[in-house]
Amino acid sequence: MTRATNPNRKKIKDKDFELVQAINTDQPELFHDLVKRYEQKLYNFSLRMCRNPSDAEDLVQETFLNVFRYLKDFRYETKFKNWLYRIAASTCIKKRRRSKFAPERELSLEEFIPKDEAEAQQQVPDWALKPLEKLLNEELANKVHQAILSLPDKYRLVIVLRDVEGFSTAETAHILNLSPSNVKVRLHRARLFLREKLKGYFEHGER
Amino acid sequence: MESDNQDSKHCHESHDHKHCLEMFKRLSEYLDNELDEVTCKDIENHVKQCVPCFSCLQTLKRTVDLCKQTANKPVPQAFSEKLKKLIQNMPKTTNP
Repeated sequence: MTRATNPNRKKIKDKDFELVQAINTDQPELFHDLVKRYEQKLYNFSLRMCRNPSDAEDLVQETFLNVFRYLKDFRYETKFKNWLYRIAASTCIKKRRRSKFAPERELSLEEFIPKDEAEAQQQVPDWALKPLEKLLNEELANKVHQAILSLPDKYRLVIVLRDVEGFSTAETAHILNLSPSNVKVRLHRARLFLREKLKGYFEHGER
Repeated sequence: MESDNQDSKHCHESHDHKHCLEMFKRLSEYLDNELDEVTCKDIENHVKQCVPCFSCLQTLKRTVDLCKQTANKPVPQAFSEKLKKLIQNMPKTTNP
């Protein structure tokens, strides 16, 4: 039986489709090319989601195994990269569930509202005004990485996909199986959380 | 709606003002161009008058910029080799 195609489906242009089709048709050995194409991206995504490099390697390995296992089900209805991240995110969430028992911390908007006059800044701090290239250095890069790692998982996934990997709100919602408004809520809280960490670092030298 | 002058007065006396809190909730959407034109203008007019909200917007924007600048690390050679071996041992088809 041939699969019915949705006539309303938008035609997606994707540089990976040809390779995926070849793997699925009769050249599974080309899977290595797909891995080479994405191993660095996935490795860095995993480093941001796991707290140590060994766990990150496990996540990459498990993700690629799942990609191979389910590649025949890929429908060419989204970009392959988005589908790959959907598998990576779900593999990550499942791994977390297996290893964690404590409920995740919720971030509320209220905790980030400046409480009084002293907290509400009366001038824009230097770190938000300086040209970005004058601000960037290894220590700051490390601080940002650590701040991302200190976010509860569900907020971290959203900010990594949106602000680090560059997916849109709609793409992130699809990858994580969330509504776009839920993505926006989590993203805003995650950004406010990081902003507090960076404020602490720049204003009080907190490491 | 209260005037900008009143906003400004409130913002400088206390930041716990209703209008400021409304802005505060939407700053990320503003930075991501996900708001309608009227709401954008509302935020822009407000931050012109309210230094704490302007500061909040700028520090949030800088936080996002810093996230976007995070550099990728190279994949360790040993791990890359491990992945290669794993793939070599996979089944010779993706079909069930």
